[in-house]
Amino acid sequence: MDDRRKAILEEIPGLRRYARALLRDRDAADDLIQDCLERALSRLDNWHTGENPRRWLFTIMHNIFLDQVRRDRRHGVDRAVALDAREAQAVPAVQSGAAESLEILDALQAISPDRRAAILMVSVEGFSYAEASAILGVPAGTLMSRIARGREDLRALLETDQRRRSIRVVEP
Amino acid sequence: MSRHDFTERDLHLALDRELQEDERATYENWLQAHPDMKARAARYQEDVERLRTATASFADEPVPERLRALVTEKGARRRARMLRGWHTAAAAAFLLVGLGGGYLVGASGWLRIDPQSVRLAESAIAAHNVYSAEKLHVVEVGADQHEHLVRWLSKRLDIPLVTPDLTKHGFALVGGRLLPQGDQRAAQFMYEDKDGNRVSLYVARNAIPRDTGFRFVQEGSTRAVFWMERDYGCAVTGSVADARLPTIADDAYKQLLAGMKT
Repeated sequence: MDDRRKAILEEIPGLRRYARALLRDRDAADDLIQDCLERALSRLDNWHTGENPRRWLFTIMHNIFLDQVRRDRRHGVDRAVALDAREAQAVPAVQSGAAESLEILDALQAISPDRRAAILMVSVEGFSYAEASAILGVPAGTLMSRIARGREDLRALLETDQRRRSIRVVEP
Repeated sequence: MSRHDFTERDLHLALDRELQEDERATYENWLQAHPDMKARAARYQEDVERLRTATASFADEPVPERLRALVTEKGARRRARMLRGWHTAAAAAFLLVGLGGGYLVGASGWLRIDPQSVRLAESAIAAHNVYSAEKLHVVEVGADQHEHLVRWLSKRLDIPLVTPDLTKHGFALVGGRLLPQGDQRAAQFMYEDKDGNRVSLYVARNAIPRDTGFRFVQEGSTRAVFWMERDYGCAVTGSVADARLPTIADDAYKQLLAGMKT
């Protein structure tokens, strides 16, 4: 295996973390990564080893994600996961006692794809604003407003959840 | 140097380590002087940490073989492509049937689901839902006029059609009908088993020639297996509960292809 393929292979865990948080569903996330890898491999000759493989792959993946979002919007496609698949993947998270994790991942799904991607790139993947702007293909100002608005959205959703829970507790 | 005009925006800059080094001290002082902003910064910080905790394990999971193989093996693309989208046990059973089949050749390109395929699947499901529910008017031309049915629909679609023989799966042909799909024509063949379960085969002409592997889609309680074969697209649609669907699709695919060649 050549060095470039090796470098790509090493980035897969990071791509999966991002895609899982972005799409929530494991299979959909792996499909996105598969599309990304296929496209990356088909353009291997365009990629120079000097270029950061992580940034390169995230850029490719984000472009594919955007295409999907546009297509879904246009056709109103319901990417429904079979119920059994969704239940199956919820089990490990519940077992590890991470109700809080489930809550924030669900809340993340409720905010716009643009803001979701911006938050994840910066907060989870640790890209600088300059790197994230380049990957997302937007000016720094746009990125910053997506991050700020996205975090406000997230906060509002989580607070609503909290309120709802406290109401339920009071009920007889 | 001595900036005093910090705003909420700076909470995010600070959190993301994007504040200038020489601004940090002034920012901290400003934060102390604005308890509401300090509280907000703390909440954002907390959310970021929750998000990191929630996603940390995703990167530790073993990388699925289909992704690893894609990068390490040459020619792994086609096989990996077949494995996508099939998320259920029924699908897994189907893959065992399908992996040796000739349609792997048709799997290429990187697009997840192109608009043309989406339209095909949507139309096929809609048509199935409408006509499989009919008692008296399931079809336009019945299986008793089989030769006429096939000739008629082949002519309308300009595709040499056959009606796949699905008797070994327990399904007999009821008949077929002509349907619109956008500004194109489509044909639907309806099949029924002895218990009254119905499965339909939907064929439409492709505006853009394209080959794909089998894809899976579900809408409500209806499930479809669909694929593109150069000039035409097909979908086999039935009830979710019917585990035979993938096997039927595989068989229908082979018979349609054989029919085109003769």
